[in-house]
Parts: sequence; C-alpha cells; structure tokens
Amino acid sequence: MHTEVTWGLLIVVYLFTAGVSAGAMVASNAAFLLGGDRYERVARWGAYLAPFPIAFGTGVLLLDLGSPLNFYHLFMTLQYKSPMSWGSWAILLFTLLSLLYLYLWLPPRYQVGHVIKRVRAWKGGLAKGMPILAVSVASYTGVLLNAADRPLWQIALLPELFLVSAMSTGVAAVGVAVALSRRWRASHEEKLSLALVDIVLVGIELLIFGAMMIDSQIGTLNQQLAYAVLWTGSYAAAFWIMIMILGLVVPLILKIVEVRGRLPWKWNEWVGLGSSLLVLVGGFFVRYVITYAGQMTGWLR
Amino acid sequence: MPKIYTWDQLFSRRQFIKGGVAAAALGAAAGSGLLHPKPGLGDARSTVASTLSGTKYVYTICEQCVWRCGVIARVENGVVRKLEGNPDHPNNAGKLCPRGNAGIETLYSPSRVKFPLIRAGARGSGLWRRASWDEALTYTAEQMKKIKDKYGAKAMIFNSTDNLSQPFFETLLKAYGTPNYGTQRSLCFNSMTTGFLYTYGVAQPGTDYANCNYMIFSGRNLAEGISNIETQEMIDMVARGAKVVVLDPRFTKTAAKAEWLPIRPGTDLAFFLALINVLVNEKLYDAKFVSQYTQGFDELTKEVATYTPQWAEVQTEIPAGTIRRIAREFAASAPAAIAHPNWRTSNFLNSFQAERAIAVLNALAGNWAKPGGLIPDQSINTAKLGTLPHPSYPAAVGMRLDGVPWQFPMVPLAYGVLQVMRDNILTGKPYQAKGWLISRQNPVLSIPERQKTINAIMKLDFIGVIDIMANDTAYYADVILPESSYLERYDGLVPIGDEIFIRQPVIKPLYDTKSSLMIYKELAVKLGLGDFLPYQDEKDLLVQELKPYTVSLEELERKGHYRVPNFKEDHSKDFAFQTSSGKIEIASGIMAQMGKKAVPTWEAPPKPGPDEFYLLTGKTAQHSQMFTQDNRWLLEIFPENKAWLHTTVAKKLGVKTDDMVIIESEVGKIRIKVYVTEGIRPDSVFMVGGFGHVSKGLHFAYGRGASDSALHKSLADPISGSSALSQTFVRVSKA
Amino acid sequence: MTVRMGFVIITSRCIDCDACMVACRAENEVPIGFTRNWVTDSGAVGKFPIVKQMFEPGNCMHCEKPSCLSVCPTGATYKRADGIVLVDDTKCIGCKYCIEACPYDARFLNPVTGKADKCTFCLQRLEQGLKPACVQTCLGKARHSGDLNDPESVVSKLLNRYPARQLSPDAGTRPNIYYIDVPVAEIPSGT
Ligand code: SF4
Ligand code: SF4
Ligand code: SF4
Repeated sequence: MHTEVTWGLLIVVYLFTAGVSAGAMVASNAAFLLGGDRYERVARWGAYLAPFPIAFGTGVLLLDLGSPLNFYHLFMTLQYKSPMSWGSWAILLFTLLSLLYLYLWLPPRYQVGHVIKRVRAWKGGLAKGMPILAVSVASYTGVLLNAADRPLWQIALLPELFLVSAMSTGVAAVGVAVALSRRWRASHEEKLSLALVDIVLVGIELLIFGAMMIDSQIGTLNQQLAYAVLWTGSYAAAFWIMIMILGLVVPLILKIVEVRGRLPWKWNEWVGLGSSLLVLVGGFFVRYVITYAGQMTGWLR
Repeated sequence: MPKIYTWDQLFSRRQFIKGGVAAAALGAAAGSGLLHPKPGLGDARSTVASTLSGTKYVYTICEQCVWRCGVIARVENGVVRKLEGNPDHPNNAGKLCPRGNAGIETLYSPSRVKFPLIRAGARGSGLWRRASWDEALTYTAEQMKKIKDKYGAKAMIFNSTDNLSQPFFETLLKAYGTPNYGTQRSLCFNSMTTGFLYTYGVAQPGTDYANCNYMIFSGRNLAEGISNIETQEMIDMVARGAKVVVLDPRFTKTAAKAEWLPIRPGTDLAFFLALINVLVNEKLYDAKFVSQYTQGFDELTKEVATYTPQWAEVQTEIPAGTIRRIAREFAASAPAAIAHPNWRTSNFLNSFQAERAIAVLNALAGNWAKPGGLIPDQSINTAKLGTLPHPSYPAAVGMRLDGVPWQFPMVPLAYGVLQVMRDNILTGKPYQAKGWLISRQNPVLSIPERQKTINAIMKLDFIGVIDIMANDTAYYADVILPESSYLERYDGLVPIGDEIFIRQPVIKPLYDTKSSLMIYKELAVKLGLGDFLPYQDEKDLLVQELKPYTVSLEELERKGHYRVPNFKEDHSKDFAFQTSSGKIEIASGIMAQMGKKAVPTWEAPPKPGPDEFYLLTGKTAQHSQMFTQDNRWLLEIFPENKAWLHTTVAKKLGVKTDDMVIIESEVGKIRIKVYVTEGIRPDSVFMVGGFGHVSKGLHFAYGRGASDSALHKSLADPISGSSALSQTFVRVSKA
Repeated sequence: MTVRMGFVIITSRCIDCDACMVACRAENEVPIGFTRNWVTDSGAVGKFPIVKQMFEPGNCMHCEKPSCLSVCPTGATYKRADGIVLVDDTKCIGCKYCIEACPYDARFLNPVTGKADKCTFCLQRLEQGLKPACVQTCLGKARHSGDLNDPESVVSKLLNRYPARQLSPDAGTRPNIYYIDVPVAEIPSGT
C-alpha cells in the first residue's frame, strides 16, 4: 500500500514534452503541406523543435523508473492492452522519424549528397504520415492515464483534452520560436495563422472543460467526487488560476487582441509572445493538475 | 586511559565492527541479507529453494510481552527468518500477536547493547567505556559489597518484572539478604489480586470464556491489551453471540465489539454496587450457593440498600435503566456469567473496593468453578519442577522501604508498593537506600512522576541495570550488564498444566552478551554467594529442573515441550477457600480485623476541577509496556502515542488531529499530538503508556510521543498499595 | 474446474491488532516504510456515546480482471493459472504504471529491488502446503485463504453460509477478496 504520489513531476514533464513535440510536428507538417513556401518558417521551426522535447521527456522518464537498466524490456514485447507499451513504441518511432524529418529540413550543406535530390519527396511523405503518429503520441498521454483505474483519469474526454492541449502547446512553442528567431523569423501572415490556430485550439479546450463540468453533474458518485478535487478540492486553486485563467482565458483574449492587430506593432509582438508562453504554462499545468489530482481520487469502498 | 564512547559512537556502524564477537555476528547477519532485505517478489521461488538448504525449526517461548507464547523459529543459515506460533502451545494455539511476530527486529535491532558498559561521565551524561564481563561483574559486586558492609544489606534494592528467570533473581536477592524487592505489581494489578485474595483466597482466578454467555469488562481490554489465547477466546465468545459489556470512559477496540458504557472515570465501584443492589433486592442471586459457600451476605444486604441504580446513575452517568437491565441480564445468564476480575479496573484509589464488589458480584452469581464462570486456582494443577538445593538464606534485616507491612499492612509481601519505595529513596526514611540493581525493568518510565525517579537514582551510590537495550533506567546507570535477547538464551522452564515448555537459544548470541541466568550466577559467585545458585551453566540448571521427570533436556529441546504422563488434575480443593473463614468472604475477615468496613462500600472518587480533565492511560495491541517502542516493525504499525480528545473539546481548543497540545498535571508537563475522536468522554483525555523515552540509547523510540508517567501523581491505595494511575487530573492547552 | 485462489475476510472477527502486517513483513522481508497488507480502521463513527467502529483488513485482491496486469508495458505482471497475480522481477522496469492502475493501492515500488511489489499470496509457503503468513497468524481468525472454486475449501464454505461483499466493484477488476461482516461463530474446517 502506498500513500504518497507515485507519479510525480518527472511524469508530468514526460506527458507535457511529448505533447509539445507532437504539436510542433503537426504544425510543421500542416504548414508544409498546406502553406507551402509561404509558411516555410513555421514548417522549418516545427521540424527543428519536434524531436527535442520528447527526447528530453523520455530521458526524464528513465530517471523515474525503479529499474532504469531494465528499460530495454519495453521493446522486447508489444502488450497491446497496455497504453504504455504501444505508446513507447509510438514515441520511439516518432522520435526516430522526427529526427529524420529534422535532417531533411537542415540547410543543404549539412545533408549528404545523394539524399538531396529526393528531399522534397521524402519531406512530403513524412509530412503526410507524421500527423498520424503525432496524434497517437499526443492522445497516448491521455490514454495512459485513462487506463489506470482511477476515477478522475477515467473521464471520457481525457484523451481528447490532452490531444488538443498538446496541439496548442506545440503551436505555441513554434510560435515562440518563430517570433524570436533571427534567421527564420515568421511573416505577419504566419504569425496571424498561428494565433488563429491557437485561438481555435484554446477555444476547443475551454469547450472540453465545459463538457466536463456538465459531465461532473451527471456522472456516478465516484466521478463526481473525482471532479470535485478539480473544481473545489485541493487542486482547485491550481486548476482555476493556472489552467483556466492564466492558461486559457487570458491567452485567448491576448491572442484575439493580437489577431485584431489594433495595438502598435511592437506591443503586438509582445502580446503574441506572452500569450504563447502562457499557453505553454497552461498546458503544463493541465498535465500537472490531472496527474496529481488523479492520484488523490480513489474508488468508494 | 580507556576510550570513552558516547551513545552515538557506541551504536555507529564502525563501532559494531570493532566489537569482536559482534563483528562476526553482524557480518553473518548482513551478508545473509536480513539487515538489507532481499528482493521480495520474483524471488518467491528462490526463497523456497533456500529454505530447503540449511533451514531448521526451533521451539522456544516468546518474550515480546509477559504472556509466554509458544514459538517455532525458522532459522536459515544461522539467521532467524520467521517466528510462528506453536500450534500445540496452550498460551497461543499457533498464533502470534504483532509483538510476537516482530521478535526478529528486537533480536537484530541496532539498539542492542553489545558488550558490558561502565559509566565514564556523570550519571545520564551518556558517556561510557567498554568493559570486559569480568571487570563489569567485579565492579558491580564490589559496589554491592561495599554497600552491604557499610550500611547493611537493606540499603540495596533489587528490582525485576515478571519473567522466566525471575525466581533466580529472587534467589540472588534473598541470598544477599535485603528485604527490599520491587516488582511491577503495584503499578499493575494489586487492587485486583488483593481484592480477590481477600474474597476467595485466590489472587487471580481464571475465566471460562468458552462457556461464558455474559461478560462484563471494566478494566480489561483484550483487543488492545493482548493476552494471546484469552484475546482469541474473547473474539470467539463475541462471534458466538455471547453478550459483552465494556465499562470504559474510552471507546476501546474491545468496546467496538461489545455494548459500550462510557462510565465516568473512577465510578466503576458504584456501577457494581448497584448491580449487587438489584441482584439482592430482586432476589436474582444464587441463594443456595450464597448460603453454602459464602459468609457476610446479610451485612452486604444492609450496605447495598442505598446503592440503587438511580443512585449509581448520578455517580456513573450510566442511565439507571441500563444498569438495571444489565443486572437482570447478568443474573439471567448466571452461572455462565462473569464480571471479569480485570487488571487495573478504573485505576483509582477506590479500585480495591471496586474489585471487592466485582468479586462479590461473581459470588452472588454462583459462578465459581462452574462452566462459563470463574476458574479456581490452577497452580495446584501445574506440573512441579525440580528445585535446586541451596544453603539457608540469611535473615533479611530491616523495615521494607516500600512500607509493607508497616505502612501497608494488607499488601501481600510478594506484591510490594513500588512507587512508595521510590519515594522513600528520596526521603531517606526509614533509612537511606544506597544501591539499586534492576533486571528487565524500567522504573524511570513506569513509576509515576518520572522526574522523582530520576532524582532518586541521582541520590544513590550505585545503580546497575541488566537488560538487552539501554532503556531509560539503564541510561542513568553506572553499569549495564547486557543480557542476550530471548532468541539467544535459555531461561528457567515453564510448566503449564501437565506440560513443561522450554525457552532455548534459536541462534548463538550475536554479541558479547549473557543470559540473565548466568549474569545472576556469576554475580553471585563474585559476591561470594555462588552456592545459592548451584549450576554450572544454563543446561545444568535445566537438567536439575527436569530431575523429577524421565525426559532428557535434548528431547525437550527437540520437541519444545514435555507432557507429564498420567498427570491427574486435582479439583478436591476447588472449594477450600484460603480465607480466614474458609468461605468466600463477602464480608472480609481481614478488613474487619483492620477496623474497616468488611463488605464492599462506596468511596467517592475525586472529580477534576472546572478546567481539568481525567487523564486515562491504557494499552495498544502493538506495544508491550515500556519495552517495545524501539522496535521498528512495531513502530510501522503504531508510531507514537497521541492524546485522545473528544471532538467538542478539540473544537474548543481549536486543534485537530496531529496538532500539538500541552498537557499539564500537578507534577509535570508534556507536549503531544492530538487524536480527535467521538470515542471518548468529553471530560477525559487518554494516552497509551510507554512512549516518551528519554534514553538516547533507544534510537527509534527516543523522543517519540510523550510519557504518561511524567504526568501521573504518585498515589498508593492504603489497602492494596495499588497505584491510582487515573486519579491524576490535567489541563490541556494548544501548543 | 480450474483453481481460483482468493481470500475471505471476516471483518467482525478482526480486532485491528496488525499481527498480519508484521507477519507479512517478516515472511516477505518487506522494507520498512512499505507494506503488502493492511488493516483500515474506520475510527469511532457516530456521535458520542452511540458509536461504532469497523476494521477492514486487505491486501492484493488477485483480481479476475487485474488492471495492474493490463497496463503493464513489459508483461512483467502476470496471472497464474491458479489466479495468483505476480510480478516477474526480471521483466519489471519499475515504471509504476501498475501501482497507479490498482484501484486498491495494493502495490508499491520496492526501493530495494526497484520493482513493483505486492502480496504474492505467500507463494513460497503455498508450495510447502502452508497458509499465507497473515492467515496463519491471524489472532481473530478473520483472514482465510484458499481455492474459491473448490467446494471443500474454508473460503467456499464460508461464502456458502454467509453473505459477502467485494470492495469497490465499480472499479471493475472483479477482486478475489470477499468480505463477511456478520458474526461467524465457527470457522468451518476445510482446505
Ligand atoms: S502475546 Fe504476543 S508478545 Fe506476548 S508472548 Fe504471545 S506472541 Fe509474544
Ligand atoms: S488488487 Fe491491484 S495489484 Fe492486486 S490483482 Fe487487483 S489490480 Fe492487481
Ligand atoms: S491479525 Fe487478524 S485480527 Fe489482527 S489485524 Fe490482522 S486480520 Fe485483524
């Protein structure tokens, strides 16, 4: 029997970084496929970012294992019922392919000769395939918790929430990168599009939370008690302040302000940057609060 | 100049290694993984494999409390792995309580004293030097001789608590010639034993749980004060549907299985007097039994006339209707109904009267020697051990420091009044005590008013302690003679009924320690009293104890017990009451002789003042008295004691569970965590005893919880000598 | 019929002495700070002086549909043919997923081994024909174990005679510990 939290900050970081990578990847793929050259910088930065958070997160996860040296056993089997099993395979594949994808996006002088000719075709192929993998990775983080038998984690919309949150943080991360970059700084159009996409994603996230609130009124007693930890219980402060206000509502307003473009140019830069950072903070706290609060909820005897 | 050690150094790992014998032993234990537990899980299979090689099972007797359960120890390659109850032992029928299961941790505890220690700084400074056994014993004997030569043997006090080798300690003290012997009894059950002795001539009758249909407990909490087989029998009794009534100001785990009556502390006497009143008035008693076996009934009738249930309701705060109902139910179940003799009852100065009332109530139920009733003295139906020849004892010259019999004429000599003995060390009356030899006892924590006990120790010329760990008294001693733990030593044999049981070493001693049998013997030799303990070694002693029987020591060791063939139980004396009248004395002849009221009578207990609470003390199933609080396995399941406060009281103080409070009595003050509950009277505070150790030699117990003995006033019932532990009132404030 | 190992616990006979917890620690060398079995104490429920108190012993329920097993990414957690759920230390990576997944909080990460740890039904004892340590020592005869599918077992007989419940059925793991709350005067004999 254990009483303290079993999954702590390291797991939160793992869940968060996997989401950022997946989101950045999808942003890059979409920019490349749909925007072509006009969105080249977004596509490029997405490709450059994607492999690293998830690789870092996986490293952090290793630290959290009781027997890190046994790690290879994850890849000696495929336990189809275990989200962590197929999730680990997905992450491995995602990381490897995202590295390849990154390689394809490197300036030509870094690339080995014979690859160059087919770079565009490969890029296209990967860009079409990767979103599937990225969506798997992003929703995996939700399904992972979903499968652990805890009332709060069994909320039906959890994978969707984590998926949307992953996308929004990925887009925000790319947004930060393209805003700060000297060499591949985003065009006005790119920034606007990123902001619009974030507005939509954050909006959906708010809708999902809304749906959860309705669910919390009609669910079983077990679920109601679980939700209560979020709405009014010990994680209520973190939920309302860090997620709802700072992570969703404020950045939503800022993004809208940014898109409407009434502010002086310099200010708009800062509003864009700040709101993207807030989206990242909010995304982190979504993982944090759900992971910790979930461990406080148990089944009625 | 020998090296001086502090406690920390003494128990540091490096120090173990230096300790010769200890080093080898520790190596063995550590290497085999006991101190570093092996992987627990996937290893299941490999564990099986290893049990098949180098495994032996050894029969012995538990000493994690004083109950003496039969144990089978599983020893793998010299390491004790598991202790299990011996299914053939009458004290426990194959089960061990939590403490018994945790014996391994006591054995391998880092707090064990590993070699003799002689104090190297001021008393209580915690500075020690290592001594050889010869030096330590010579030193002890010299001090004791010096005291005897200068002040007479009476200036030396001997103390010990119930244990298998106690008879040999008593031999030593008699040979030395002092009248001063301190046991735990007056802190424990004096009021019960004297109450029953003066009624039935039997100090501790048994109780037939198996057939009993109605039981009233008023100071016996078998779910938490575990007496193994009795606890099992109590659970069976409850499961069988027998009615159990528990009088206790606190909702105990026994009460959880029974009808709980949260009686006002100190008024159990009134409750029982009222039961007697109902039985007498409604003619519900066993008239035939009463006329045949008792005397004094008429006097009783007169005395209890006014003790009506209505009257008792005012005293006890239990509704008169409930009292009347219980009286009728009890009588209806008689003779398979028992008002349990208990252990301490309400723990007030009037407890002797309460015990007398209980004894008399049982007589009215006519349950003596009946199925489901009280069981007469069984010592006559117990196999007798061979005795050791010894020279005649010198006369013990001098008055006893504990006031028996000159201040406490009615306290049996064997029981004594420990708290008064301590007080008289301080007062120096009727003469000044000079030395104290203590074996397996911890007066600093057990006697009320801890500070006084420490002051008393400071007044002495010499204090020596024999124990397995540096308990709080040893902490202030001049010399510590380390005893082997119960899993490493022999003790005197234990006869139970027609069987004889043995405690024997399960493994060789881990450290440079000895059995108390050998410590007493070797000390006797150094004192020139060796003839009184005429054995070469433990085995030699046991062989002599087995003389009357055909069994060899080897066979006893192998089987763990020996059944005396053709042993006949003798019940001819069941009704030969050892009282002055030869009858059950409802009106006690001795009380009358002493000019006191002969029948049980009301003595009003004092009440706490307006801002005061009753301070209750009691047991927990997970610890024994003062000596298991250092056991880490037990600390896992009961880490510290807390002060129980009723919800309303806690609210008024503004505290919740685990907040700190300060509790103050007339004599002391403690800080302790709170436990808020609906299971206690709002006028009472409860704490489990045995915590709040002051010895830094007890690594894991030191500083945990708080000690009730720091708060208890020293009171002694003038009749039984019983310490009235609950007759202390306290104030509670937020820390 | 297949073997289905499980426990029957009679709460009315438990006195919360915790002997079962110490016995398990000794038998299985469970490190300090952790435990494979437990006894929960309701405390005094109600208002003074009308209160009651319940003790509820427990350990891994060796569930029919163990959520610990389905989440295990390496296949380290497995269920034997007789129903006992175990962890194969050689495969366990210590990811703690099973610890999270168990609705009964029956598991912990053993800091010494770095593996998920829990009740093993005292397999090493079963193989010698002994009862688990907790059952063996239980002072109240509250804990019982055996084959739930064998009509001759103590557990089956108890379940035949007395009403029983399972813990947290909502969690959906179909636990194999059954709780009897009514008084049980005599323990039937059986395997
Ligand atoms: S009751 Fe417990 S501690 Fe006492 S002798 Fe029996 S097993 Fe040992
Ligand atoms: S109780 Fe928990 S650990 Fe045991 S089988 Fe069920 S889910 Fe697994
Ligand atoms: S040993 Fe038995 S009676 Fe004691 S706590 Fe465990 S289950 Fe309850």
